[in-house]
Amino acid sequence: MFAYYLRLAVQSFRRNPGLTALMVMAIALGISVCMVTLTSYRAAARIPLPHKNEMLYAPNIDSWDPKEPYDKDKALNAPDLQTYRDARGLYASTIPDRKLIMFKAGGVLSGGKNMQPEYVAARMTTGDFFPMFETPFLYGGGWNAKADEGPEPVVVLSKETNEKAFGGANSVGKTLLWHDREFRVVGVLNDWEPAPKFYDVSNGSFDDPEQIYVPFTWGQILELGSDGNTNCWKTEDIKSYQDFLNSECIWFESWVELRTPEKVVAYRKFLDDYVIDQKSKGRFARPLNNYLYTIEGWMQRNNVVGTDNKAMLIMAFAFLAVCLVNTVGLLLAKFLNAAPIAGVRRALGASRRDIFWQHLTESGVIAVTGGIAGGLLGVAGVWALRSWYGRFVQDLERALPVDYSTFVIAVVISLVAGIIAGLYPAWRIGRAAPASYLKVQ
Amino acid sequence: MGLRPIFSSLLRNSAGALLVAIQIALTLAIVVNAVFVTSERLTKMGRPSGLDDQNQFAMSVTGFEKNFDFFAMVRADMAMLRDMPGVVDASPINQIPLSGGGSSTMFYSLPDKKGENSPVAYYNTDDHAVKALGVKLAGGRNFAATDVVYRPKDVQGFPGTAVVTRAFAEALFPKDKDKLVGKTFYDDQSKPLVIVGVIEQMHGAWVGWDKVDRVMLSPLVGPGPGVRYLIRTQPGQLDAVMTAVESALRKRDPNRVVGKLRTVQNFKQSSYASDSLTAVTLSVVTGLVLIFSALGIFGLATFNVNTRTRQIGTRRAVGARKRDIVSYFMAENWMVTSLGVLVGCILALAVGYWLSNQFGLPRLNLYFLVGGVAGLWVLGQLAAWQPALRAAKVSPAMATRSV
Repeated sequence: MFAYYLRLAVQSFRRNPGLTALMVMAIALGISVCMVTLTSYRAAARIPLPHKNEMLYAPNIDSWDPKEPYDKDKALNAPDLQTYRDARGLYASTIPDRKLIMFKAGGVLSGGKNMQPEYVAARMTTGDFFPMFETPFLYGGGWNAKADEGPEPVVVLSKETNEKAFGGANSVGKTLLWHDREFRVVGVLNDWEPAPKFYDVSNGSFDDPEQIYVPFTWGQILELGSDGNTNCWKTEDIKSYQDFLNSECIWFESWVELRTPEKVVAYRKFLDDYVIDQKSKGRFARPLNNYLYTIEGWMQRNNVVGTDNKAMLIMAFAFLAVCLVNTVGLLLAKFLNAAPIAGVRRALGASRRDIFWQHLTESGVIAVTGGIAGGLLGVAGVWALRSWYGRFVQDLERALPVDYSTFVIAVVISLVAGIIAGLYPAWRIGRAAPASYLKVQ
Repeated sequence: MGLRPIFSSLLRNSAGALLVAIQIALTLAIVVNAVFVTSERLTKMGRPSGLDDQNQFAMSVTGFEKNFDFFAMVRADMAMLRDMPGVVDASPINQIPLSGGGSSTMFYSLPDKKGENSPVAYYNTDDHAVKALGVKLAGGRNFAATDVVYRPKDVQGFPGTAVVTRAFAEALFPKDKDKLVGKTFYDDQSKPLVIVGVIEQMHGAWVGWDKVDRVMLSPLVGPGPGVRYLIRTQPGQLDAVMTAVESALRKRDPNRVVGKLRTVQNFKQSSYASDSLTAVTLSVVTGLVLIFSALGIFGLATFNVNTRTRQIGTRRAVGARKRDIVSYFMAENWMVTSLGVLVGCILALAVGYWLSNQFGLPRLNLYFLVGGVAGLWVLGQLAAWQPALRAAKVSPAMATRSV
């Protein structure tokens, strides 16, 4: 029966090709606009390391100005970064299974076999960074806690940096110069492109990962400032790097890995105790305002998705709604136009239900055709967007990947939408009395 | 002819009309808000930056050798760059305006953090910056070469002279708008700075900041080892000068790192990228929505005419003129459009209110709503025009003929 309905549908399309094309186009355009906006929304909203969402936490404590909150628009938020003293203070806790502190620095890297000296961004961090964020290694590995304490002159290179410096060969054990000091390569990362770059959203959620990774303590030995954001609120007389480290300026980020709910509770208590202790020392004059964010919560707090992205998604679905209402109207017109044919079929013995299903099949075919066309158009749209956007945003594949599951979603949405759009017209035509159409013929 | 019979005929055949009304309502709500947001973004993107941003480029330069002399490098590079053909001027600068990267600090009109205060985006640069940036001085003077401080160590505090934008100076001295030159203002350590020159208008680091036009130039170079060079070229010579500068810098001293050359225009575009993306997407959606609404109205009007040929024929046969038939369909369409527009107004206001509440967008400007209502009325009438004309062509003989 279904095959017969399909044949009838094709016949009906032949009768009004223009109207049919209009309906297919309406659905296709509605779907493709939704698909493009959905792609950019999903790219921004994707949670990296979803299996660790309930394990990795970003602690936030409020060391900011007693007179005004860090973010006047969101007064309840604590600052997203920490002072050096507090970063070290939190790092001292033994509760977490793993922990890290870090900041972003920069400097000239040289001395590779075939390397032009280059200014590279460095993530100054502690050894747990690699297992916590599950970075893939091409050669070697990260460094241990002993190397953090020393600190030992070790470095982990990104795949790209290793290609520049050593032509992609296994460089573990070789040395490079950074800030005029020798560092020994202990590991080379494989392609690793966390997008969004959730662990450093304050410097750009879709920035490239750093080119090298160096033990945190080298930052203080080499007296490095932040290559990212540094924010200060207090009037302090800063004369030396040591003064700067001891100041209320914030530029460090902490993450902890807490594998059990008990540890989460214990760590929360630790944060409160830490701040209360600092209060007794005359710091942290703001109300007790501590947070422990999951990756997802951290991305929400930092508005990674962006309001434009959300507003645009809503606009796109409203547009799809217009397209669907349009299609319902056109279907109704088309079906009622062909009512005499349905009348003849009814007179020859087709039931109301048969007529209903026949017409629903017809609208289903239109919807699927529109959905596939819309999906293709959507993929083309994402590509167009990338080539247009890519002129001034680097590495767009990461920020805006063509996600083919969105294509499937598009076709499914359009099928559902098409069937909903066809329900009323199909029902209406099934109820028409056959006699009135037969009379005039 | 009264509207009553049209109305009651509409009520008997309400499904199609209702669909058109819903469509018009949704269209109005989308279009009014989309056009409003788009125009907001276009206004923002079209603001003059105050810079000669079409003819500028920049790059970072970093030294790394053991006995590397930062100031010798900057002086030699600058002497070379300023002499090159096609170069208007060049300056060392700590950050590039419009790039989204920069530094800001707080200043006060009186010592001890008293009086008026204002944050400002500042640039550490030299006496060539005013010309290299291409900004216009509204009053006072540029830095003299002797004002520039070459500071080898990273210590706090700015030199004692400053060239600032009018917007910043007026924020600190709202009562002395015509004598801003010569005023003294203070940093948070109560160290005084004197305004020697006032820039008419200039954008700083962050285009999304509501105080983007509060900028200060400070005559400070150092401590290195890294700095950026900002180079302004003669109009039309940007590409040629960029190629020449890149090789000249590498040739003069290969023992330092010259970063990627980027035009200021490119920085500007990437700073406004999300705004232009929003504007483009919304314009496309607006255009499509309008086209589909017109087609939908057209389709349903055509359908109405087709199903009523006998009725039209009958009316013609009993004496209705062609004009009456046209005006009947136009009036019917007008009623449906008006219903849609009425509901659409409420919907548009609700969407606008919700967008501004939820996403912090500015509140919908009512002129856009008025424009949208007028536009959709016209669009509805235009879309129904051709079907109505076709209806008028129905011959009175149709009354007696079967379909």
